Amino acid sequence: MKHSYKTEGTVLLVENVSVTIGNKTIIENINMEEHNTLRDGHAQGQMIAVVGRSGRGKSTLFKTITGLRKPSTGRILIPSNEINKPIEVQEGTVGFVDQKYTLFRHLTIYNQLKLAARKGGIPDGEIHGRVMDLLNKWGLEKAKDQYPCHCSGGQRQRAAIMSQLLSSGYFLVLDEPFSGLDVGNVEDVKSMLRLVNTSHELSTIIFSTHDIELAVELADKIYVLGFASPSKQVGTVVASFDLKALGLAWQPYSQSHTELAKDIKTAILGS
Amino acid sequence: MASMKKLVTPFEVLKAPHNLALVAFWLVAVIGYWYLSTTGQKHLLPSPQSVLRGLGEEYQEGLVPHIFSSLSLCGQATFWALLVSLPLAYLSTLPLFMPVIQGISKFRYLPLTGITFYLATSPLISSGRAMQVGVLVIFMSVYFVTSLLSVIADIPQEEFDHARSLKMSRWEVLWHVIVRGRIDYAIDILRQNLAIVWMMLVTVESIVMSAGGLGTIIKNADRYANHGRIFAAQLVILLIGILLDYLLSELRYSFPYVNRGSKN
Ligand SMILES: Nc1ncnc2c1ncn2[C@@H]1O[C@H](COP(=O)(O)OP(=O)(O)O)[C@@H](O)[C@H]1O
Ligand SMILES: [Mg+2]
Repeated sequence: MKHSYKTEGTVLLVENVSVTIGNKTIIENINMEEHNTLRDGHAQGQMIAVVGRSGRGKSTLFKTITGLRKPSTGRILIPSNEINKPIEVQEGTVGFVDQKYTLFRHLTIYNQLKLAARKGGIPDGEIHGRVMDLLNKWGLEKAKDQYPCHCSGGQRQRAAIMSQLLSSGYFLVLDEPFSGLDVGNVEDVKSMLRLVNTSHELSTIIFSTHDIELAVELADKIYVLGFASPSKQVGTVVASFDLKALGLAWQPYSQSHTELAKDIKTAILGS
Repeated sequence: MASMKKLVTPFEVLKAPHNLALVAFWLVAVIGYWYLSTTGQKHLLPSPQSVLRGLGEEYQEGLVPHIFSSLSLCGQATFWALLVSLPLAYLSTLPLFMPVIQGISKFRYLPLTGITFYLATSPLISSGRAMQVGVLVIFMSVYFVTSLLSVIADIPQEEFDHARSLKMSRWEVLWHVIVRGRIDYAIDILRQNLAIVWMMLVTVESIVMSAGGLGTIIKNADRYANHGRIFAAQLVILLIGILLDYLLSELRYSFPYVNRGSKN
């Protein structure tokens, strides 16, 4: 059964973005427009996957979307507190979890989260409660006084995601969150992302992955980043797939998903 | 037999008690060789007996106060050198100061002796001690700054990005990622550079002898060509140096996020 949905308002607008480092253009001509998805009876956020071969500029695009790198041309707009007044993204307005789940090495998990909450503008009186809440919900209460170097990769990743949720709210960009995880951890991260995604109407998650089946299973929109042509090694969007319109979003994995994955792989291999 | 074979197998790891026994074996072997090789008439090294005798004489002549004099010089110089070089290294992240600080780092190619002679005859510096501190601070600082710059350069970009993604101001990034986040590295730099500094300290003390210290002891022993005493003083300096090294490495490992035997 195809779920019905509506879209309303833009949650992300990437307009003609390019990034040139030194004299090498890494990505160019990137355009993305994502709308707030509305489903009756669901708090439904957006889940966007970016796929493509290595070196096509996924990480560079993510740093630009999170304001950590200024685009050389174009702009990136996200909604602000005022309706119909989008703002240009700045560092910190969008959460970013890099591939190595970097944390502060000199702080315990609890203190990392406290610091993140303070930077996120949560009132001092509420910080402890909010942090403990998250720690309990994500099964990290036992590790709360450990330093990152004594945590497992999975624990560090969860702590990194929680930090960003506390400081930046519910717009989250994750660079290859599934790479290097064992089967159990992959399931954990999947359910974590779904939890974040359904916890808030405006929640928007963008992630990159090399696991195309996983992208098709989780995302409601998929962008393929690749080189425009073999002679021009600059990353750009070579294809995009709207799983909502295709009736594949929020569905159990089916034959149609498998076929879509095949199409996406073809698009990747050609770019 | 199998365990004997392990001793000469590359990358083989021994059990802790076996390691201890091995250290004891080498210690006995070295001292034994020392003893045997110094029984004849002509020998390169002074005999253990003459070193012990030298040590006794030096003790009588105030070895302990000299040790504390050297330690105090080392402490003062370290204090001032850290006070100068830590802020300098941290400020190197400001474009304004970068050229200055890289310039300072180049001064490590300056010869120690020239500076010492210059400061010794400078009318601005009155006491021998002030001059010694001055020379050491200059040299410690250039080495500290150099090593700290390379620590900062080695910090992965992700750590800066993580701090920035939490809406931290540039100054907060500097504080959390470099100052607090690398304090154990700063201690380790201090430890590594202490070897050079400890050697310089003895040299400086023996050039300007008025202020005492272990360098004075060596210089005095040298004056009478007493090999036993020179050797004894050297051993004392070596052992104190190793002790300082150990203390600093313990200080570094006292940070709960620093793992022994691994860099992270
Ligand atoms: N800071 C940088 N300086 C120079 N080149 C860079 C920099 N960051 C990335 N690149 C280059 O940009 C290209 C895309 O890199 P990246 O964004 O990491 O791609 P992906 O994440 O898709 O593997 C690569 O060729 C990489 O070498
Ligand atoms: Mg990447």
